[in-house]
Amino acid sequence: MATKVAIIAANGGLFDAYKVFNIATAAAASDAEVGIFFTFEGLNLIHKQAHQQLPMPAGAEHFAEGFQKANVPSIPELVSMAQELGVKIIACQMTMDVMNLKEEDFIDGIEVGGAATFIDFAKDANISLSF
Amino acid sequence: MDIKVDHVVDAKGLACPMPIVRTRKAMNDLNAGQVLELQATDKGSVADIQAWAKSTGHQFLGTQQENDVYRHYVRKSEPDEVKEEITFPHSVRNEELEGLLESSREFHILDVREPAEYAFGRVRGSRNIPLGELPQRIGELNPEDEMYIICRTGNRSNMAANLLTEKGFKNIINVVPGMSEWTGIVERDEFELKNKIKPIGGK
Repeated sequence: MATKVAIIAANGGLFDAYKVFNIATAAAASDAEVGIFFTFEGLNLIHKQAHQQLPMPAGAEHFAEGFQKANVPSIPELVSMAQELGVKIIACQMTMDVMNLKEEDFIDGIEVGGAATFIDFAKDANISLSF
Repeated sequence: MDIKVDHVVDAKGLACPMPIVRTRKAMNDLNAGQVLELQATDKGSVADIQAWAKSTGHQFLGTQQENDVYRHYVRKSEPDEVKEEITFPHSVRNEELEGLLESSREFHILDVREPAEYAFGRVRGSRNIPLGELPQRIGELNPEDEMYIICRTGNRSNMAANLLTEKGFKNIINVVPGMSEWTGIVERDEFELKNKIKPIGGK
C-alpha cells in the first residue's frame, strides 16, 4: 500500500517553509501521496509575493550564509518541485476570509477548502505532521 | 573505478532533498532492470538513498566514495514484481554451488546481472556478462564447458540458461535462488582512489 502523508502548515517563517516543503518533496519523491493544509500564518508559504521573501526568525539572520553555502534550493523552487511531484496544496478558506485574501493572491495550482476537506484527505493517512 | 550504468544523475553540491528528488525524476526515464548512478556530496544521501530505495521498492546496490563525492547505485525494479516462472530443467541450489567451490572440480560460473550489481558482490571466480549483452557476446564462451548461471533471484539466469542451451551449450546449470540469498564467500571490487597515479600509456 502506498504511503499517504498529511501535513498542516500553520506558521509563516522561512524555517517553517523549509520544514514543510523538504518533508513534502522527500515524501512525494518516495512515491507517497502528499497533501498540505495551509492555515493562518502558514498561508504565507504559498502567497504569491510573501513566499518569495519569507522572514528568518529574529536572531537567526546569520544563518542566511549557511543556506547559501549548503546550496539549499529557494522556497519558490521547492514549491514548484512539490507541485511537479503531485503534492496537493490546500489553502484554508476560513483564514482567507479572515485575512481578506483571494485565490488569485496565491500561487497557481492550489485548492481552496475548509477543515473538512483536509480531514477527508487525512483520514487514512499513515503519517500526519504539523508545522 | 567506473562501473557501467545506464543513467547518471549529477546532484553534486545540492542539499537535501534534491539528490532524492533528482533520482526520482530520472527513474521515470529508465526501464526496469536498468541501473542508475547518483553522484552527490550531501552526506545525508548515504542513508537517504537506501531509505528511498526501501520505500519505493527499487534495488539499492551500493555506494562508493571518492574524496567528497558519493556514488550510489540503484537498479530499477519491475513494476509489479511479476516473477517469470523458472522453466530451465537443470538447476542447483546455492548451497550445492557453494559445496562445488570447495571441490577440485573444474567448472565456470557466469553471472548475468548488471555490472554494478556484480561490482558490489559476487561469487568468487565468477565472470560477468549481463543478460542484455549475452546474445552478442555468446562467442566469448565455450559451449563444451560446465557452466553455472547465476543472477539475483534466478529469473535472469533462467532466461540465460535457456538461451545458451538453445545455442548448443551442452552443460548449463541454473543456480537458484542466486545472489539475493548467497551465504558463501563474497568477492567485490576494490574501489580505486581517484588520485591514484596511472602509468603513462596505461589503461
